[in-house]
Amino acid sequence: MQPETAPRPAGAPLADDESAAELAGLDALDTPTVRRVPWWRRFLRTGVPPIVAFALFIGVWQVIWASAIVPEFKIPAPLAVWDSFATVVGDGQVLSILWTSISRAFVGFAMALVIAVPLGLLVARVRVVRAAIGPLLSGLQSLPSVAWVPAAVLWFGLTDSTIYFVVLAGSIPSIANGLVSGIDQIPPIFPRVGKVIGASGLATARHILLPAALPGFLAGCKQGWAFSWRSLMAAEIIAAGPLLGIGLGAFLKEGSDFNDMPKVIAAIFLILVVGIGIELLIFRPIERRVLRVRGLAAGV
Amino acid sequence: MTTTTTGTETTATRTPAAPGQPEAVRLEGVGKTFGSGSDAVTALQNVDLAVAPGEFVCLLGASGCGKSTLLNLVAGLDEPTAGTLTRPAGSPSFMFQEAALLPWLTAGRNVELPLQLSGLSRSARRARAAELLTLVRLDGLADKRPHELSGGMRQRVSLARALAAATGPDGTGGGVLLMDEPFAALDAITRDALQGELLRVWRATGTTIVFVTHDVREAVRLAQRVVLLSSRPGTVVGEWAVGDDRDRLHDEITGRLRQVIASHAA
Repeated sequence: MQPETAPRPAGAPLADDESAAELAGLDALDTPTVRRVPWWRRFLRTGVPPIVAFALFIGVWQVIWASAIVPEFKIPAPLAVWDSFATVVGDGQVLSILWTSISRAFVGFAMALVIAVPLGLLVARVRVVRAAIGPLLSGLQSLPSVAWVPAAVLWFGLTDSTIYFVVLAGSIPSIANGLVSGIDQIPPIFPRVGKVIGASGLATARHILLPAALPGFLAGCKQGWAFSWRSLMAAEIIAAGPLLGIGLGAFLKEGSDFNDMPKVIAAIFLILVVGIGIELLIFRPIERRVLRVRGLAAGV
Repeated sequence: MTTTTTGTETTATRTPAAPGQPEAVRLEGVGKTFGSGSDAVTALQNVDLAVAPGEFVCLLGASGCGKSTLLNLVAGLDEPTAGTLTRPAGSPSFMFQEAALLPWLTAGRNVELPLQLSGLSRSARRARAAELLTLVRLDGLADKRPHELSGGMRQRVSLARALAAATGPDGTGGGVLLMDEPFAALDAITRDALQGELLRVWRATGTTIVFVTHDVREAVRLAQRVVLLSSRPGTVVGEWAVGDDRDRLHDEITGRLRQVIASHAA
C-alpha cells in the first residue's frame, strides 16, 4: 500500500502550500490570546471596593459624631452635611457655583496647554533652552502655586486675571515637563525607523515623535489638570471679592466665615467630586484608550 | 559534483545582474573610525564590496566585526570616514533585529506609512499595503495592533514595511533591503519558517538583499554569496558563492571563521 504522502527527503524544501500551512500553524500557536473580562466582573473588581470604603468612612464618621467626643461645631453629623448639600442643590445655586469654577479651570487649563506645549517642545528639542530653563521648569513644579496668590493680587487686583495667573503658574510646569519626559522616553529605535522609512523634519515630528510621546504627555496633562484645579481653589479661597463671583472656593470661604461647618465640609466634598469626576470622565478614558491600543494596559 | 567554493547558482531562480550592469551597492576602500586621537576606534577598514541588483548577500562575522556599522553606512544612517560608497538611488530600507513596529498604528498602517511619506494617495497605498501583507501571508490582519501579533508575525509585518520602503510605489523594480540579524531574536522553529518565507519573498520581488548574521548555517541557507568579515577592525577576509554542497560549504566557512576568531586571542 502506498501512503498518501511520501515522506519528504531530509533537507528538501517544503512545497509552497505545505510551508504556508506550517506558518499558519505557527501563527495560530504563537498569537497572544486576549482575555475579555465581562463588565459586571470588572465592576465587582474596581467599582465595589471604593463604594464599600466610602460607606465605611461614613459609618465611622457617624459613630464619632454620635459618641460626642468632639463638639458638634467641629464635626457635624453626616446628615447635617447632607442637608447643607441638598439645600445648595435644591435651590439651583450649585449649578452657578460649579459653572463658575469649572469654566475657569477649563479656560485656565486650555491656556496652559497652548503655552506649555510649545514650551515643552523647545525644552525637549533645543539643547540651550533645556540647559537654560529645564531645571527651573522642574523646580517650579514643587513650588505651591498658592505662593503666587499674594503677588498676583498685588499685580492684578481682585479680578479674574489673578485667578488665571495662579492657575497657569500651577499647571504650565506640569504639562511642559510631561511633554519633555514623554519625548525623552521615546525608545531610540523609533526615530531610526522614521529615518529608514523616509521621514524627516516635520514628518518625523508628526508621524513618529508626537505619537510616541503621547502617553507621557497625557500623564503630564492629567497632573496639569490636578494642579490647575488645586491652584484655582487656593486662589478662590484666598482672593474673594465682588468682581469674582462665587465659585467653589468662595462658597467654602463663606461657610468658614459664618462658622457653618456642614457647608465647609459639603464644599470640600464638591471640590473633591469635581476633581475626581473630571479625571474619571475625561482623562481616564483617553489615557486608557491610548494605552490599550498600544498593548500597554493589559486588562485595565 | 561541486567541490569548489565557487559553485554554480542553484538557489536562485532569478539570475543575478548581467556583467556590466551597475551594482546596487558598491563600496571601495570604505573605512569607518569613531572618535579621534588616542580614543579612536576603527570599526571598518578598507572594505571592498559590490552587490548586484537582485542579489542576496550575507555578511557573516563574529562580534565586533562592524557588521552593523557597515549596514548603517549603506543605509545612510552614518557616513564613512574613508573610501567611496555608492548607494542606490533613493534610500535603502532597513530591517532591525526587533520588529520595531510603531505600536500606535495597526499592522496595515505600519506598512502604509513609508508609502504615505513618499506621497502615495490613500487608496493606492492601502491597496499596496494589502498586497504586501498578502505577500508575507498576513492577509486579513491589517487591522491588528502589533501587540496582538506573535513575534514571527510582527517580523513579517516589519518585512512588508521594509519592502514598501524599498520597492517603488508601483511595486516594480528592486530596491535594496538591508537586514540586521532580523531573525536572531526569534525561536528556532519560527526562525526556520521565516527564513523560508524570506527566500520566497525575495524570489517573488527581485529585491536586492544584504543580510547580516553571525549564524553560518543561516548565511549558507539564504545567500547566493557569503562574505566573511574579520573583527576589529572589520574587513573582508573571504567570499564564497553558495553552490550545491551546502554542508561542505558550511564546514569550510565555519573553519575559516574559527581561524579568524582565534587570531584575536593574543
